[in-house]
Amino acid sequence: MENKITKINTERKNIIAEYSSKKTKDTHIDTLAQEIKDLQYVIIKDIVEETPDAKSFILTPDSTKGTYELAPFTAGQYISIKMFVDDIYVTRAYSLSSSPTKTSKMYRITIKRVEGGLVSNIMLDEMKIGDTLTISRPIGDFGYNRIRDEKNIIAIAGGSGITPFMSMAYAILNKVYDANLTVFYSVRKEEDIIFKDEIKAINKKSKKVKFVITLTREEKEGYFSGHINKEMLEPYLKEFNTIFMCGPKTLYKTMNEILSEFNIPKKSVHYENFFVDYTPSEIQEYELKVILKNDFVLAKCKSNETLLVSMEKAGIKAPSMCRVGVCGYCKSILLEGKIKMIGSYLKEAEAENDYIHPCITYPESDIVLRLDI
Amino acid sequence: MIYDYIIVGAGMGGLSAGLNLASHQKKTLILEKNALPGGLVSNIKKGRFEFDTSLYDLYDYGDDKSTGTLKELLTKYDIELETKVIPFNIRLNELSTKSNYIIRGDMDAFLTELERLQAGSMPSLKKFIQISQEIHEALDLLKKHKNIPEEKYPNFYKYLDFSTLNGLKDLGMPLDTINRFSFLWLEIGSPIHKLSFIDFSEFMYKLTFKKDVILLNKALDFTLKLANRYQELGGRIYYNSFVTEVTKTPSFYLIKTKDNLEYKAKQVIFNPSKRYVYKNLIMEDHKEINRLENARTLSPNGVVVYLGLNRSCEELGLKNYKYYQVKTLNSEINASTMTSLEHDTFTGIVPNVVNELASPKNTTILVLKKIFFDDALRSINSKNYAEFKEYIAQDLITKFEEAFKIDIQEYIEEIAVITPVSLSKYTNNVNGSFYGYMLKGYDNAINRLLTYPEEEIKDFTFVGGSSLFGAHVDNAFYSGYYLTEELLHKEGPNGK
Repeated sequence: MENKITKINTERKNIIAEYSSKKTKDTHIDTLAQEIKDLQYVIIKDIVEETPDAKSFILTPDSTKGTYELAPFTAGQYISIKMFVDDIYVTRAYSLSSSPTKTSKMYRITIKRVEGGLVSNIMLDEMKIGDTLTISRPIGDFGYNRIRDEKNIIAIAGGSGITPFMSMAYAILNKVYDANLTVFYSVRKEEDIIFKDEIKAINKKSKKVKFVITLTREEKEGYFSGHINKEMLEPYLKEFNTIFMCGPKTLYKTMNEILSEFNIPKKSVHYENFFVDYTPSEIQEYELKVILKNDFVLAKCKSNETLLVSMEKAGIKAPSMCRVGVCGYCKSILLEGKIKMIGSYLKEAEAENDYIHPCITYPESDIVLRLDI
Repeated sequence: MIYDYIIVGAGMGGLSAGLNLASHQKKTLILEKNALPGGLVSNIKKGRFEFDTSLYDLYDYGDDKSTGTLKELLTKYDIELETKVIPFNIRLNELSTKSNYIIRGDMDAFLTELERLQAGSMPSLKKFIQISQEIHEALDLLKKHKNIPEEKYPNFYKYLDFSTLNGLKDLGMPLDTINRFSFLWLEIGSPIHKLSFIDFSEFMYKLTFKKDVILLNKALDFTLKLANRYQELGGRIYYNSFVTEVTKTPSFYLIKTKDNLEYKAKQVIFNPSKRYVYKNLIMEDHKEINRLENARTLSPNGVVVYLGLNRSCEELGLKNYKYYQVKTLNSEINASTMTSLEHDTFTGIVPNVVNELASPKNTTILVLKKIFFDDALRSINSKNYAEFKEYIAQDLITKFEEAFKIDIQEYIEEIAVITPVSLSKYTNNVNGSFYGYMLKGYDNAINRLLTYPEEEIKDFTFVGGSSLFGAHVDNAFYSGYYLTEELLHKEGPNGK
């Protein structure tokens, strides 16, 4: 019977011997997977002043650095800009506001000035047409899903929260989605309206997409005034609706109160996390130790600054994307110390094993972190 | 510093290898490209749902009466898991015959049902179960490189070169019963005329005597437990470490990673497949390995759709743990239908039926899976990828609703879709295949095990789902243990 084993083994050998000795080829699937690049290189093709404190940037592929086509995205996704500011590595997330059908050739992002902001001020004041940027591939789950969502979409936007809905509007205009979209857009004054002319043009020609603008700090003809309220929404709600919100947390709170009066199920309401609001009772400075793979860094951190920002300031090239606690790219392990994590989006097992998202974590004592970079 | 062992990849095989080496005080480093351990065993968070990417069925675990190998190994490392035995609770639709089967209970209940469907099946089924014990013992000896006495294990030798189909026929099992009895393999994709009788027998042995279980906690809890224990034992693991090149120098192996770090080791163990490693990480050409890799068939890949539903499974009418639809129970014909995108074979799992902690109260998780052969996915590209995902997901949801007359679409709160592309990117599984190399003909697990001592690559060790014993957590984990034991044995008692 040993013969039987020998026979089986010989058979295997003989079969294998008949095959080519060249290296195996990638499959179609593997080629596609390799095409997904984590970084893209782009040129600023155009800059459009949208409001006194917001500009749009048209980004096109930078073939000199090997980006020949931009990665496709779905309406609602964002990219993260990666740049060095005075030797500090920083990232910022911006929703794409262009049409997903034009993807391969161009992206548009719109940036509003943040007082004291590191990146927004550079982008608005220093960047010129022809300058280059490094950005991530598009990521994020926010947006319309044909399978999950209803065909009557209500979008609620506050300030620069309008950007993902512009992309969604174009997706509908360009027949990517067969749905109706009403965007309620709340800004302080008329001059703060981003995409004003585009919105006008869409309102004129489209039966499927409508923008309803309300001004909270002034009254003007052609606009609602005051915050978005029940009466404004009512005419646009149907039996089944899907609601998207993008803006400050205060907006979500008031809107949820209004929506609860319409009995809209929880599953039909989706939020884009956009801001992290937190002010500690007092500003304190603590020691920060970050243990990297082969090294460690000693630095300072402050109770009013996220640990991600402290790491960046210490010259650590910490990975990050969304900066609002959702994507998990900055995931680190808290080895020692007390922290305050705002709006945690950790998985159960991560939370139990002391993982944190430094982008939404503020120190309340000296801190020791482990980050494998 | 030169490590005794560097392990590339913290999947099930890599973690298992690490645990065994670290518990023998070897200086061990695992390099993992992702930020968390587990490889294919992972979970996806969407809203209030956490979907486990696999592990809804952990084989070879066992219960109090009969402990499986997986549990034995975990116990050896002091790792405790909260588990629950999964009974058969299956609804199966066969389109070609318009048959609808419900299988509930243990293996005995399954056999009784098979007898009810086809009188006269029982003697051959009983005989098979008996033989599977004999084969299991013989395999144990083979793994230990011990002699397998023919007089004690005649059936092992007899069936060594039998396909599952021929072996069961030989036992006098009616053809319809054979197809029903082997239906679980339709999901894995190896047609039973190519699957070895020995491999099938060992799988059924585990299913019969070492009960399969579901984890009560999430998959990530399990993988972090493994990684934590490994580190407690003195092992080191670096995440975000994508290995790009491995070269041999006269005195050590040099391992380079994407972030421009370099590591040295006396031995290297790979969790990814030989095919991936020799294509991507090792620069020299190895003609014999290329031949082997060109000869082998990758297991099918597929799409998995995870649905978070906003009702309890009772309310939705989801009463069964597993749902299957097949075109036909004849696995050869059925596999041939799975080369088109729209084919009718799929599976559904409702973890909440066994584990009420699978998702928040009054919600349910439904996992739908469809596998593909050959060129079914040829038409997808980066531009239609998002659309493709939606298309397949909708196709699966519609087919599920029609097959089992259960409404789910309107209750979908969250949805996540895994495709071969995302799997290839996340795990480096070639072609995004689920089960490594296909178990068929000369490349069944038994054939790999028989030729292993001779075919073994002297330079490296390969563990995981693409390794000796085939896919699934039990086999991948066992490969990590078994192959490091072999290495330790070679080192000898003094460790040199």
